[in-house]
Amino acid sequence: MTEDVIAVRARALAGALAEAGFARLRVRDGDTEIELRRAPSTVPAPLVPAAGPAAAEAPATPAERRADLIASDVVGVLRHQRPPVAEGQELEADRELASVETLGIRNPVRSRGGGRIVAVFVTEGQPVEYGQPLFAIER
Amino acid sequence: MFKKVLIANRGEIALRINRACHELGVATVAIFSDADRLSLHVRHADEAFCVGPGPVMRSYLNIPNIISAALISGCDAIHPGYGFLAENARFAEIAADHGLTFIGPKPAVINAMGDKATAKRLMQDAGIPTTPGSGIVASVDEARAVCEQIGYPVLLKATAGGGGKGMRAVTKPPELPTAFATAQAEAEASFKDGRMYVEKLIVNPRHIEVQVLADEHGDVVHLGERDCSVQKPSHQKLIEEAPAPELDPAIRDRLHDVATTATRAVGYTNAGTLEFLVHGDDVYFMEMNTRIQVEHPVSELIYGVDLVKEQIRIAAGEHLGFSQEDLHAHGHAIEVRVNAEDPENNFAPAAGTLSTVVFPGGPGIRVDTHVYGGAIVPPFYDSLLAKIIAVGRTRESAILRMERALGETRIEGVKTTVDFCRQLLGDPEFRAGGIGVGWLPAFLDRRAAAV
Repeated sequence: MTEDVIAVRARALAGALAEAGFARLRVRDGDTEIELRRAPSTVPAPLVPAAGPAAAEAPATPAERRADLIASDVVGVLRHQRPPVAEGQELEADRELASVETLGIRNPVRSRGGGRIVAVFVTEGQPVEYGQPLFAIER
Repeated sequence: MFKKVLIANRGEIALRINRACHELGVATVAIFSDADRLSLHVRHADEAFCVGPGPVMRSYLNIPNIISAALISGCDAIHPGYGFLAENARFAEIAADHGLTFIGPKPAVINAMGDKATAKRLMQDAGIPTTPGSGIVASVDEARAVCEQIGYPVLLKATAGGGGKGMRAVTKPPELPTAFATAQAEAEASFKDGRMYVEKLIVNPRHIEVQVLADEHGDVVHLGERDCSVQKPSHQKLIEEAPAPELDPAIRDRLHDVATTATRAVGYTNAGTLEFLVHGDDVYFMEMNTRIQVEHPVSELIYGVDLVKEQIRIAAGEHLGFSQEDLHAHGHAIEVRVNAEDPENNFAPAAGTLSTVVFPGGPGIRVDTHVYGGAIVPPFYDSLLAKIIAVGRTRESAILRMERALGETRIEGVKTTVDFCRQLLGDPEFRAGGIGVGWLPAFLDRRAAAV
């Protein structure tokens, strides 16, 4: 990708960054990996859920926390797992999070490693496009 | 009429189709690649889906994602525009399998016309004159035998070819083996089809094409001819006009007759273009393009017909609603392609951000474009930025208008063809009219020699 194109893509992802309340966000897109960082002064208080296993540990400062965005690489309809993956859920290792159905074909969406789900951007049956953020996972 | 149409394209043609749909009261769904997120065609559509990253194989040619976008947005038809999937019969079939109307001819006709050797044979069977040549030649030896029979110079062509790829001119027998091998390799690489045929090379012909419309009830009309003889050495068109200047009225009538006859003979429906080579009094069918063409506006402006709207109406099963007697050409129209490329450097494509964009306006000027000040020209696509079209009562008035319009045009940030085309318009040979396809390459050679 050219720098111009990366800039356009990054701008589109900035919304997801704000929604997840993270200081750093990384998304892998084919051969390219984009990492977004918020300017330190604009980092809000961490949006860590009060409950959940990680809450007991002292969370890292927002500037150090990093989330990976899991985006759709096809156009289709989102199908959550049963039960659906929820915010705050811990993942021990790589697993299927949901699938996107394209022309009757199920395309699994995987977590690409363990971590904690910090944002679920999509609802059951929602149409999704290529590159649309589906989940954010804190690593 | 359709309720919602997915526009499977980008750039100026996506906007053009969007406008036609909206004027017909049809909702639109745009598709775009990551690189086109900020393009005007996305902004103007009622809905838009990102279908993949910048490279075309994963976005504008990504059939599953495109069909999926059409289905989940509730479309009932797909307009393919030109290029990309426009002449892909498989795409048309897949769309139909999913209950989507493909706005274009039937898949079997797309297939027949897309295979150049088949198209030529079908036209010969219908009594349409074609250039002397062969069917598929399997080897250099077979090609040599044909060449000796029809006489040099010849043109080696890939049956799946287009845009000058897989094509080589051969003037003397010793050049044949190398030309055959390179053209075949190029065709294999570009189209995954290395089948070749041989054609007599007509030296410096005019490229004149006829626009046709055919509905699904058997009615066929033509909308006159376009002269597309101003072609780069790569055979890409740069300036087009309608009607063809300095053309014998008898030849003009013959072209129109042959085009409508051929359209009926192959059972063609929707908008199409038959390309001919014209050399002296001889007329040869070259190929039929089963899509809307880049240069369609010059015909629209002199006939007062919206070809894209007609495509949509025909695909929806409507009658043409007019006959040949209702169609009359008025005046003269000329189109200049504003490409992001460097005319001083073999038309090398340019990419970058457009810092300044000012398009012309005023009487008789139409601009079809998708770019604006600050727009990004990604490196992945065709270099066409805009089409400037001028119409006037006479050829001379249209050219004067175009010169004025190009003078008003300011595009900064990438190199463009604007100033170069203005020079071409001022050339006495162009001004006289009736130039052949060898004219622009010769113009470039003269310019190179003068440096």
